[in-house]
Amino acid sequence: MSLPLRNFLRFWLILAVQVLLNKITLRWWSEPSGFPVFIPLIYPLFILLLPFETPVWLLLIIGFITGLSVDSLMNTGGMHAAATVVIAYLRTNALNALLPRPLNEYPNQAPSVKNLGWVPFLTYAGFLILIHHLVYFSIELWSFSNPGMLVLKILASAFTSMLFVVAYLLLFTRQISARG
Amino acid sequence: MRCGLRTSDSLNIRVRNFIRFISQFANLILFVVLEIFCAILIGRTRTIQGNDLVNSANAVSGFYYKRQNAIVHYFTLGKMNDSLLEENQRLHQELTNLQFTSDRRVDSSVMIPKGPPDSNRKIEYAHYIFRKARVINNSVSQTDNYLTLNRGSDDGIKKEMAVISGTGAVGKVVHVSKHFSTVLSLLSSLQEVSVHLKDGTTGIAKWRLEGSSPSPDILYMMDVPSQIPMRLGDTVWTTTYSFFPPEVMVGTIQNVLIVKKTGKRLLYLKPANNFRNMMYVYVTENTYETEQKTLEQQNTAEPVKPKKGGHKK
Repeated sequence: MSLPLRNFLRFWLILAVQVLLNKITLRWWSEPSGFPVFIPLIYPLFILLLPFETPVWLLLIIGFITGLSVDSLMNTGGMHAAATVVIAYLRTNALNALLPRPLNEYPNQAPSVKNLGWVPFLTYAGFLILIHHLVYFSIELWSFSNPGMLVLKILASAFTSMLFVVAYLLLFTRQISARG
Repeated sequence: MRCGLRTSDSLNIRVRNFIRFISQFANLILFVVLEIFCAILIGRTRTIQGNDLVNSANAVSGFYYKRQNAIVHYFTLGKMNDSLLEENQRLHQELTNLQFTSDRRVDSSVMIPKGPPDSNRKIEYAHYIFRKARVINNSVSQTDNYLTLNRGSDDGIKKEMAVISGTGAVGKVVHVSKHFSTVLSLLSSLQEVSVHLKDGTTGIAKWRLEGSSPSPDILYMMDVPSQIPMRLGDTVWTTTYSFFPPEVMVGTIQNVLIVKKTGKRLLYLKPANNFRNMMYVYVTENTYETEQKTLEQQNTAEPVKPKKGGHKK
């Protein structure tokens, strides 16, 4: 399966999963009172898994389109699009910092556990997803009057999203080497 | 030639530098453009965020709109006043008509509505029409004070119509010409008003009192029994059998004196209207007044005679 086609299919798959996740609102398992309600956001994973050599402008446009699709599904105007454009812009810099060689030396490859390893990949994904959630929830709450609530919401949501990301990786990565 | 070549060369270099600069920051520019687009999208949806964005964008234009409005406002004041008056007139009419659709009984302290109005027992013994008018001349310092209104017989105004303002009773139409009419105001010895207090005690309010200098700020209500409870500031209204529409405010109690000779009280009323700067008034017409008058005249024309036969037995 060619790389563009695989990404195209992944786009629809991740959107479908995100729509399913929208239906469940999590209160962080045990539902303590006062804990913010949130939805795990898994669609940034699509931006994270685009091929290495995607130019930044294309990343930005793809990120914008992805965000807009989610926005149209969740009726949030352009909040998701704004957050997704931010991580699409930061993605190249994050990868450059984590990879030993320049990006153009990885032809026809996409970031994955296989070529990055578990720890760098989770660092990469965790960092960008945290940024994404930071931007998104800041716009969504639209006030810094209750920073504790905002931080709690961001951290809890990012952690849950990361759980779903790991689940996705375990499901769709073939031949994970035992040493990881 | 050489000079021109050199300048075009340096121009080329500058353009190239500029293009390099642009391409260097192309991604950043695209990023910023997309984010601005997102902000516009967020602003277009009617959410808290959107309202904030739009409001902050409107702060500047809002300032100018406010300025512009402050200037243009003056030119539309007249029109606004007219429309407000028309609405007032309509509301007054509806209110009085509403008061007559159900009969109300005054029971020492409580007013009990006598059931809902229905087609069978709709008691409508007076029906008022309100006409707005502007006061174009006014006096308060004469022995008998008159107002002149800018409405006359062409507008349906007739003699003996009651005139009220937005705040209270004003007077009675005495002379009518084609386009104007004069109103004898309450500040006159020629007319008295039948008024009632909060608990239903009726009396007569007048302006002139023997042995006191008249002021446009005081009306008098005489011969109020001393056992009637009242407080300073209580309102005094017109009664149903005054020629004014009922429940029109006449004034508030300003001072209470006890007349030693009779043991009754004399109330000083503060008129509800400021007669000095009267601007707009409503001329009221009771459409059943002629019917009522003709019926009442029969009382004096043909007094009820006692039956002779009954007495003899």
